[in-house]
Parts: sequence; structure tokens; C-alpha cells
Amino acid sequence: MALGGTIRGKQTTLRLPAEADLDTYNAWMADVRVRRAHRVWQEPAMPATWKERFKEIAKDKETVLWSIGAGERLVGLVVGRVWRLGGGFDLNHFVIHPEEWRKGYGSDAALALHRYLFDYLDLRLVTIDLQADNVAGMKIAQKLGHIEYARGHEVHYRDGAYVDEVKLRMDKETWQERWSAEREYPPLAADATR
Amino acid sequence: MFGPRLDGHNGVALVPPTLEHFKLHMSWILQPETDRFGGPRFGEATDEKQEERFKKTGEDETQIQWTIAYHDEPVGFTGIFDIDWVRRDGESGIFIGRHDLFGRGIASEAIRLRTHFAWRELRMHRVHNWIAHANRGSRRGNEKVGYKQIGLFRRSFFRSSEWYDEWLGEAYPHTFPDQH
Repeated sequence: MALGGTIRGKQTTLRLPAEADLDTYNAWMADVRVRRAHRVWQEPAMPATWKERFKEIAKDKETVLWSIGAGERLVGLVVGRVWRLGGGFDLNHFVIHPEEWRKGYGSDAALALHRYLFDYLDLRLVTIDLQADNVAGMKIAQKLGHIEYARGHEVHYRDGAYVDEVKLRMDKETWQERWSAEREYPPLAADATR
Repeated sequence: MFGPRLDGHNGVALVPPTLEHFKLHMSWILQPETDRFGGPRFGEATDEKQEERFKKTGEDETQIQWTIAYHDEPVGFTGIFDIDWVRRDGESGIFIGRHDLFGRGIASEAIRLRTHFAWRELRMHRVHNWIAHANRGSRRGNEKVGYKQIGLFRRSFFRSSEWYDEWLGEAYPHTFPDQH
């Protein structure tokens, strides 16, 4: 389960991460723009440490890591946890390379990921925690259909001050109402099982 | 990490866990009387696994765990987990394993000791938690020491034909009641 396979969007593809991606992951985790927008996934470290982390996540039974590609370029990563029971998914980290912001890659990859979670894995809900000042992340989540169910006060510390944490969830019913036309495979042909 | 000994009222104390305490955990958490709001009532319930968990917990610098003692007998555990030392925030939890002792105020006193320690010794900024909404005793115990509701997670888990919601709470040093 732990390294994610291919999920195609229109502009982006969530794909199997490779060791060759680790240097770029490291650079993102050292980028203050990324660190201000998100809770850091891993601290910057030596290549050998990243290789160890990669081995560990590959073995993890619940956490899944994908790289996000746009054409041949690596433009982001996703880390989430599939609930052991209860049919849920916590989207823990969703990073887009700051140089690739405002190109629609985040929206596209997030929609493709949610399609996979609801329409392929048949999960019943997805959760996301966002810093309240992450305007782009909030827009993407709300457009998908996430709603706020809780708000932690003064949770994240960055740039010399605390900021709130918004806790969001999206249920399968919302996916079906809003995005039922988004499917990976066409309907089975009438004679497919004959 | 393991927390230091904290003596409270009515025979309740938080004490550093021992391996013997950890070996009791599985017999506590795999019972229907204690896991209505928890679960999943299966797991690697071997002494070897508990030895591994004991070692790992002791070495983990992102959590502080205690055994809850009642008149010097181990009856449950509590702690602050996933501590982020930059944000000084962590998630608290508690489990009373001896269901024959429910209703004696043990959990409330343990929560008070733990929360007091978080503010007065650890200098934490915030502690938060998730509690089954229907677990009124646990909610009240947390509210008494300053936890306030920040949201409700609907239909979190399913028991005996019903969905259970979860209550989300947070506490800060300034929400802790005056001890004088």
C-alpha cells in the first residue's frame, strides 16, 4: 500500500515515487514558502537519511506517498493515511513546488486523488487539516466539497505568530452529488459479463 | 518518554510506567466493557510486543506517558502524544482499564494532574483531544480542567447499529481553573 501508483488527472499525474525524487523533496522541505504554507512533512536532511525515510514509508502499512508529475517534471508530493478501519483517508501533506503555484496543478491533482479515494477505493470520507491562512489550499478543498467541522485556535507557529488550524472533511455523498461525472473508467458495457 | 510521579487526591497518582504495567494494557483494552469508545479489540497482544512498545515509548521524545495508579495499584494509562515541541502542542489521551473502578473520579483526577503538568512543567502552549461525544464522563473530566469544544466529527465510528460522533477539544494554560 505504501507507495502510491498512477492516478491520472488532466494536467498532472500522481505516480510512484522514486529515489531520484528525494533531492527535490529535500529542497521543498527547506523552502520557507513551503514551510509557511504547510506543516513540514520531514525536516531537510542528508541524502542517506532521505533514503532511510523512503525505505520506511515503503514498508508502512497505512501511509501512502505519491509524487506529482506534470509532463516530465516533478511538481509535488502527497502523503496520506488510509484508516485501518472505518473507510476514511487523512490527507496529511499536499505540496506543490512553489515555482509551479497558480498553474492549477494543485486543483487538478487533488480532484484526481479524491476520485481515486471515493470512486476506486470506495472510501466514505476524506479529511484535511489546513492552516487558516493557506488561502489556495482552502479554495481547492472547498471547491471539491470539503466542509469545516472544527477549528483549533493558535495551532501552527510560523513567521513569528500563531495561526489557527481548520479541520475539513468531505463525505462520499458530496463526491457523488458534485463529481459523479468524474470517473476513471467508462461504465461497463451491457454485454461485458456475457 | 515516561512522566514523573505526580501525587493527586483520593489515592490517585500518575507514575512512570514499568514493563509490568505495559503487560497489563492488552488485557485492559481488549474488553467490551472498556473499548466501547475505542477499538478495534484485536492486536498483537503478546508480551514480546509489549516489551517492544515499552522500549519504544520510553525512547520516543514526542510523547509522555504515565500509568494511572489508584491506591498504588495500576488501573490505566494516560499521556500527551504527538508533541510538536516547536508549536508546543500535543494530543492528550486517557484509558481506565479497570472497569470495576469506573465512576470513582479516577480519570478526572488523572486528567487534572496531567494537564497541570503540561502547563507548569512542560511549558506547553496547547493540548487537544478527541473524545467520543457519548463518553460524557471523559468529556466532563476534560472540561473541568479547561478543555473547550472546537468541533464535532460526525459519524466517526459505528457500534451496535449506531453512528458515534467525536467531540474535539482544546485547552490552554489560561483555561486551567485557579487551583487556589
